[in-house]
Amino acid sequence: MRQLHSLLLLLCSLLFAATCAASDYHEQLLLRPLHPSLLLASFNFQSNTSWASFEQQNFRYFPRSLGQILQHANTRELHLRFSLGRWDAENWGARPWGGSREGGTGVELWAWVEAETDEDRADGRWLTLTNALSGLFCASLNFIDSTRTIRPVMSFQPAAGHANSTLSNLHLLHGTLPREVVCTENLTPFLKLLPCKGKAGISSLLDGHKLFDASWRSSEECQLQITQTIDMVLDIQRSKRPRDNPIPRPVPNEDLKCDTSKPYHSDDTCYPLDTGAQLDDWNLSQIFGHPLKGACPLADDGVDPVCINVPHAHHVYASGGAQEHKDETGYMRCFELAPEGNFEMVLPKQDIMERAPLEQPLLYAERSFIGYGQERGGVQAILTNPSPSESVDFVYMESLPWFMKLYLHTLKAKINGNDEDVIQEMYYRPALDRKRGTQLEVRILIPANSTVVLTYDFEKAILRYTEYPPDANRGFDIAPAVITIGNVSIRTTSLLLSLPTPDFSMPYNVIILTSTVMALAFGMVFNLLVRRFVGVDEAEKWDIRALRLRLAGLIKGLVRKFKRKAEKTE
Amino acid sequence: MAPSLPQFSAARIRSYVFRLPLFTRCIILVIVLLWVVSYQSVWDVIQWGALIPKEIGLSTMYRTNTFPLIHAGFFHALMNILALTPLLERFEAEYGTLTTLALFMGPLSTIPALMYTFAETAVGLNTTVLGASIWVFTLLAVEAVKTYRTNPFFLLGDVKIPTWITPFVLVLFVSFLVPNTSFLGHICGLAFGYGWGLGYLKFLAPPEKILRWIEGKMNLLGRLPHYVSVDQKTYGRFGVLPTASATLAGNAEAGIGLGFVGASGALLQRNPKILKLPPYLSFLCIVIGVTWLLVLPLNDYSRKTYISENALLPGQVHTYFAGSDQNVFRGYKHEVDALENGSNVEVNDKMEEFFKASGLKVARQKYEYKSAGETYAGENIYAILHAPRGDATEAIVLVGAWRNMEGVLNRSGVALVLTLARYFKRWSLWSKDIIFVVTPDSKAGPQAWVDAYHDTHKSPAIDSLPLKSGALQGAIVIDYPFDHRFESIHIVYDGINGQLPNLDLLNTVVSIASGQMGIGVSLQQMWKHSDSYQDRLQTMLRGMLNQGLGHASGPHSSFIPYHVDAITLQPFGEGWQDEMAMGRVIESTFRSLNNLLEHLHQSFFFYLLMHANRFVSIGTYLPSAMLVAVNFTIMAIFLWLKSGSPLSPKEKVASTEAGEKQPLVVVEKGDAKALIPVDALTVRERELFLPLAIVAGSQFLGVVPLYIFNHTNQSMLPIVFIIFAILNNFLSPVLSILLTAHFNPTRQQYLLIKSFSLLLLGMFLSSLATLNFSLAFLVGLFSSPLTWIQPVPNRPIVKILLGFLLAVISPTVVLVGASWAWGLGIGELLKEAAFGWDVWGMNTQVVVWCVWWPAWIVGGVLLWGKPGEEKEGIKAKNRS
Repeated sequence: MRQLHSLLLLLCSLLFAATCAASDYHEQLLLRPLHPSLLLASFNFQSNTSWASFEQQNFRYFPRSLGQILQHANTRELHLRFSLGRWDAENWGARPWGGSREGGTGVELWAWVEAETDEDRADGRWLTLTNALSGLFCASLNFIDSTRTIRPVMSFQPAAGHANSTLSNLHLLHGTLPREVVCTENLTPFLKLLPCKGKAGISSLLDGHKLFDASWRSSEECQLQITQTIDMVLDIQRSKRPRDNPIPRPVPNEDLKCDTSKPYHSDDTCYPLDTGAQLDDWNLSQIFGHPLKGACPLADDGVDPVCINVPHAHHVYASGGAQEHKDETGYMRCFELAPEGNFEMVLPKQDIMERAPLEQPLLYAERSFIGYGQERGGVQAILTNPSPSESVDFVYMESLPWFMKLYLHTLKAKINGNDEDVIQEMYYRPALDRKRGTQLEVRILIPANSTVVLTYDFEKAILRYTEYPPDANRGFDIAPAVITIGNVSIRTTSLLLSLPTPDFSMPYNVIILTSTVMALAFGMVFNLLVRRFVGVDEAEKWDIRALRLRLAGLIKGLVRKFKRKAEKTE
Repeated sequence: MAPSLPQFSAARIRSYVFRLPLFTRCIILVIVLLWVVSYQSVWDVIQWGALIPKEIGLSTMYRTNTFPLIHAGFFHALMNILALTPLLERFEAEYGTLTTLALFMGPLSTIPALMYTFAETAVGLNTTVLGASIWVFTLLAVEAVKTYRTNPFFLLGDVKIPTWITPFVLVLFVSFLVPNTSFLGHICGLAFGYGWGLGYLKFLAPPEKILRWIEGKMNLLGRLPHYVSVDQKTYGRFGVLPTASATLAGNAEAGIGLGFVGASGALLQRNPKILKLPPYLSFLCIVIGVTWLLVLPLNDYSRKTYISENALLPGQVHTYFAGSDQNVFRGYKHEVDALENGSNVEVNDKMEEFFKASGLKVARQKYEYKSAGETYAGENIYAILHAPRGDATEAIVLVGAWRNMEGVLNRSGVALVLTLARYFKRWSLWSKDIIFVVTPDSKAGPQAWVDAYHDTHKSPAIDSLPLKSGALQGAIVIDYPFDHRFESIHIVYDGINGQLPNLDLLNTVVSIASGQMGIGVSLQQMWKHSDSYQDRLQTMLRGMLNQGLGHASGPHSSFIPYHVDAITLQPFGEGWQDEMAMGRVIESTFRSLNNLLEHLHQSFFFYLLMHANRFVSIGTYLPSAMLVAVNFTIMAIFLWLKSGSPLSPKEKVASTEAGEKQPLVVVEKGDAKALIPVDALTVRERELFLPLAIVAGSQFLGVVPLYIFNHTNQSMLPIVFIIFAILNNFLSPVLSILLTAHFNPTRQQYLLIKSFSLLLLGMFLSSLATLNFSLAFLVGLFSSPLTWIQPVPNRPIVKILLGFLLAVISPTVVLVGASWAWGLGIGELLKEAAFGWDVWGMNTQVVVWCVWWPAWIVGGVLLWGKPGEEKEGIKAKNRS
């Protein structure tokens, strides 16, 4: 696989929806060029099944492996998300799907589990679920234990359509694994859940080295829906590099794009032009390594499988057999694929500077550590409302590990540098050492065009030496904060917390030294016990060589005797 | 009898040595004699007397007796004597001299020797054995069996370990740890010892009747000194002490031991010879300390550097920064040159444009510092390259200050930062974010940025950072202020307050520059380094000076207090390396840092470098500063003891009649009673208030110059300094005169003043040595004459000479000397120090004004002091 992606977000969502339609499946790839020379590719796969067939375990589009796990764990709605990298909201605008299909760095999992008001039973089913999913998706989901699980109160809402009777029995559980690195081994099981597996349709473009994010919801009504999405941001320049030569060597002098208007411009001096200002030319097979292998025959015809978000003025060429549909907004066109043959799409070099407008995000969020040292630290979240007129009401949720001991009294929100009461509501569940983590949910109202800085201090706990992970001590990852604004959600980046670390090499040195002494002692005694002491002159009596020599001597003697006899007889 | 650890004290050891019995003494003497004899070459003692199994015959049986007395070398003899003496003394005290003589000249050496010989010949070996260790183990086994009778096990957790096993364990340890020891020989000795201890071999002892008869006939007890009679063996060495209860006896012994410890102080107070020692000991400490430092550059005491963190893999990647990127570099350099006279904001506007064109996120930060009446304001600009697949948890920093420490435009350096930013953006392999920082100056800007990054800045003078990344893992600074080709790279690594970056970072750059790129590396402005002793020493001393001053030596210095390892790279000289080579060094270094899985922690943080490839670590160099600091402590303890000792006997004897008997006193402790001279139990009352007040006062006085020099306007600094320097020289005589006039301190009080002052100095310096070795060493060296300063009331010439010496080593004069040596005005120096205090958080001033200066002031007070008449402050005091 080549170095394709500057950032990958793969999402998979699975939900039970309320609409009563027959089983169906459709898929769509949406391409959107981003500034500078990046391309967002959103894959969306959606399949429905009826509740009746789900109950009867009659699976057609719905993956059986997942369906059975859900039934076994009494799970009504499940969201599983894998992600890697970060979304640059300033340059790329709002998140795809309004952030509702993405997760925090690593793995994020939440589910509504049905259990009759009994928390322990819900915990048991949650455990079953995480362990089963762990096997299915080749991820360490089984490490989501009680210290990493919280029960959000304000942040997540179940999808519409659950009957009121079940709603009262549903338990929301939420777990994160920020350290989990998403890799190819997670993509393969993801593709296996698709009806066309990755052999045809847009999923044929998916190719290893991706991380993904799956989510699913359920309702009690007659229908089930699974939505799997993959979003990835690709660097066009990097993707276009030839597969056998991916190193970004300096370009030859003649290919360098220089600003010739500079007075000092010459053969050996060059002021580089801003490459981001130009539109790149690219085609599908350059970006994904190979063209699209025809439409998925199982998909509905109603939805066009490939769409691209560029102004109508741009030239986009598609391979023969594909039908182009332009919509009225002037920025979107979709292609209906021919059932057979490969699909290729080309954006040639063009001088049109117009770009499709970016959707402005509702909120910019940034979170970082403040302070230094091994004992205490602080977290600072900067939340900016860019809208000039609308105020934003949102819930900020943190799920912190127990060894990061939050001081709630230091929680302060400053608006535009002034202390003002912007915290509307707060839910806080303190940590218990080695049992559960801290859960903090804060509802904040940001007026238009202002910035809220949320800060709090914490103390770093000292871990037992066995509680450190066995790998190199990089630090402990802290899960991203989740910001929920209605049905839009935003996630911050994860943080790296360094805790006081013992010198692990010291016990190692002691073990080495002790083992040496033990080995010496043992070797000495063993040597004395086992070795047979003989004199040098006696030694040859004992070994095989001596035996051989003796035998040889014997034979020689016999031969000589025989010869002498023979001579005598002569 | 429960084994109890002996209480060590000088007096006890002395009495023990004097009470050694006759045979033990003889054996020691013979061993020593034979060792001395073995040094001549005419008669090979070892060949004559050693136990060589093959040589044993009827005529050479003497070897079985002589071998324990002959040793192979000094240490062999010494160790064996040390081990043998207490055991043999015990044995002799128990069995009597005559029995011991008979046993040790007979069966005790012959039988193990024969056992050994037979064992050796049986397995066909012929290993020579020497030395008394065979006796040691025999006696140990005897003792162990004795212990086993009274105290069969000792518990280790739940495990019962029989006590008789200890000598065997010892044999094993000796054979593992000490080279060239005979395991078999020791085992033979042990076997005999166990046999004797268990009583199977008692028949070998000569009959008591005969011994008694011989002893009686020859009157040995009367004729021989230290002779232990056969009769005495009934009670053994413990005389008539009851041994009914082990614990009781143990307690009694502990009590006696403590008494001896107490007495050792008194011994020190009384003994005129010992009293004379400490000043010389102090001097020796300083001499050894300085010599220690001077031998460090030798090959035997320093080590070659090595990469400790394997993840760094320095120089293992191919670098691609070349070709058309050089054209881009030239383009950027033209842009930088055009901005040479631009204002800070103009420069930053352009920089923002450049960084944004490369596709990076850019942010700015304004700062303003005030120090010594001057304002240092500016605006930093920085750009963050997001790691393509990273998650903003870690970052590495590349700094190019617009103007370097000398205030010269960093023309190639900034252009290189811009070119590298554009180049790094093309790579997708970064696991950490890369932050490019361009600060307007090299002193305040980086500090403001790093402070704000960790949110420890002072708002609103310094802005918060609008854009942040993860934890900083390392920082590299480029200082390349010229535009011609260079020859080598100069690495600057000193941090603020003498903190240093991890040695691995430095090693990485050295190995990349010299190993991969073929560029030479130099340190501490040693432009030519021949790796000779002189050059190494010079590099090390320059490094120590920089460390001792604790100032920032480059933009990197501000990073180090936050545990972010950082260095500055400065190309220098005229050579054929171009700026792209410099860029490749940085590229390769960043690739190495990118590999890091955890923060740099493997290698040393405390080291002295003497060459790019040679260093000494803290374990090796620390003793030198510690010895200098300990000299003060030794002197302080000595002065404390001296202040408590009664007036010298001469004065007393003059007033009383000679030949008078010393009065005795009865001391009771438990059941024991003793008669002790009264003199040994008296201690002089120490008058502590005045000395404590003077020392504490002078310590607090240190706050005055500290405050004045850090809060005076820059234009006033030279004048204030001159006034202070003059006052400083008169301060101590004036203080001294006032003191004499109002309190008239006695000799004892002067001793105590000095003792407390030196005690504090020693304490401060030894703690400081672990934090900033060089500063502690330098201050220790400058204040070392204070160890011997004392009131000299009746010798005016000496007093004036010493006063002159004291003036020369005063902090102010040293400061003037330093500013002269560096060619700086004293005003500039002080301004720099105030800047360090206000901006960098430098605390060298605290050490100078609150540790060194008070000690110096007290020294002056002592020198000009006039001890008053000794008052009648002597009171007898029972010390227990």
